[in-house]
Amino acid sequence: MSLVLENGFFLLKGAYYTLLITIVSILFGLIIGVVVALARLKGNAPLRWLARTYVSIIRGTPTLVQIIIVYYGLVDYGITLGPLTAAYVALSINVGAYLSETVRGAILSIPRGQTEAAYATGMTPWQTYRRIVLPQAARVAIAPMGNTFIGMLKETSLVSVITVTELLRSAQLLIAQYYVNMPFYLGIAVMYWVMSTVFAAILEAIEKRLSRAY
Amino acid sequence: MIQTIGLSKAFHGAEVLKNINLQVAKSEIVVLLGPSGSGKSTLLRCLNGLEEPTGGAVELNGIRVDAAMKVREKRSRYREIRKHTGMVFQQFNLYPHKTALENVIEALLTVKKMPKHQAVQIGERLLERVGLAGKKDAYPSRLSGGQQQRVAIARALAMEPDIMLFDEPTSALDPELVGEVLDVMRELAKEGMTMMVVTHEMKFARQVANRIVFMDEGTIVEEAPPEAFFREPATERAKKFLNQLSDH
Ligand SMILES: Nc1ncnc2c1ncn2[C@@H]1O[C@H](COP(=O)(O)OP(=O)(O)OP(=O)(O)O)[C@@H](O)[C@H]1O
Ligand SMILES: [Mg+2]
Repeated sequence: MSLVLENGFFLLKGAYYTLLITIVSILFGLIIGVVVALARLKGNAPLRWLARTYVSIIRGTPTLVQIIIVYYGLVDYGITLGPLTAAYVALSINVGAYLSETVRGAILSIPRGQTEAAYATGMTPWQTYRRIVLPQAARVAIAPMGNTFIGMLKETSLVSVITVTELLRSAQLLIAQYYVNMPFYLGIAVMYWVMSTVFAAILEAIEKRLSRAY
Repeated sequence: MIQTIGLSKAFHGAEVLKNINLQVAKSEIVVLLGPSGSGKSTLLRCLNGLEEPTGGAVELNGIRVDAAMKVREKRSRYREIRKHTGMVFQQFNLYPHKTALENVIEALLTVKKMPKHQAVQIGERLLERVGLAGKKDAYPSRLSGGQQQRVAIARALAMEPDIMLFDEPTSALDPELVGEVLDVMRELAKEGMTMMVVTHEMKFARQVANRIVFMDEGTIVEEAPPEAFFREPATERAKKFLNQLSDH
């Protein structure tokens, strides 16, 4: 236990990377998610096909394989990414696919009557989307998105295999140094748990705030 | 004011409106009656382009939409028409994330690009007009059905429409809330608003309408002043329709 505390700073640094990767991937994932959702709902046929295929491939393959392809696979084509960049790219692309499904579902859940009411007053399709549909869809999407975000926090541990020294790999490095397993593993498990809990609390606060209006 | 010329509408090949020729004059109040599925809603929705006609034309104050026009052209003309028509739906369709006042002023801000303070003034006056001045900051979920529908009427009035289209505005309301909505509509009629109303409120139709248009199977079967229509309908189909109503 004292070993864990002695190396607290090193582990905290790992936790910092875990959080950083989570937040960066979520931000880019959100952009990808909204764009892909709109492509699927409003795009022309080739665009819709492209968006659907992307989502299908990402959902149908293990995240770990996606990470490895981005880091080790792309090298064959002369694309060499640093471990951290590869982590951002792979996880953003990954979470973007899941978020696009959530966003699409949320948009589709807004009743047709809402759009018709806006059209009937002379609003354009874009005005209707921006002012009427998307704000309501955001409220619908926020809860399932929260789950995806927390899932993401945990999935970041996968990038330890491409030598990103996030929380899991920090523990592995310490274990290699001190030849004890359990205290470090338990230590980081607690740290993951604390981060997830704080994350969940923040998301819940946001959700409350958004739905207060109704 | 508004008219349809040989208007028809088909859904996947099934014609639900057939060669509709209808004129409504300024300040006229037309009540559309007819059995379920006869095409009343579709007719109203073709007037403001929520459904696109498959044949014929619609014209409002010189803005004409012809089914034969290019899609783009039709859309832009319908957008013009919508700025001059108000529609009230059976299910109210208020924006749940906006307050009563925000619902009313939304189109003033986005479509008319009106400064906020000016829009708010208009919005407050309209809410007062439908008897809801005190509810301007309430969200729709906090309002009764009757209050919601009155907000929806105020929202439709905000654009200063030349004609108001009502599609069964009281059908989703508890019986005790129907009166307050009909009262607002009576008030509008008195002020000279042009109105087309689909309703099952026969008393309202009899008292307020200038003309009854009776539809069946996608055609206008009979048009008459309300006294004549209710006393002695000219067609068998209208007779049958009225008999069925009085059976209930
Ligand atoms: N979007 C649609 N797609 C396919 N068919 C439709 C659509 N909208 C309406 N219809 C059909 O068109 C016909 C006329 O419908 P409409 O809603 O205009 O009738 P209505 O007179 O308003 O009936 P109600 O009194 O039940 O409201 C019906 O047979 C209906 O099933
Ligand atoms: Mg109808």
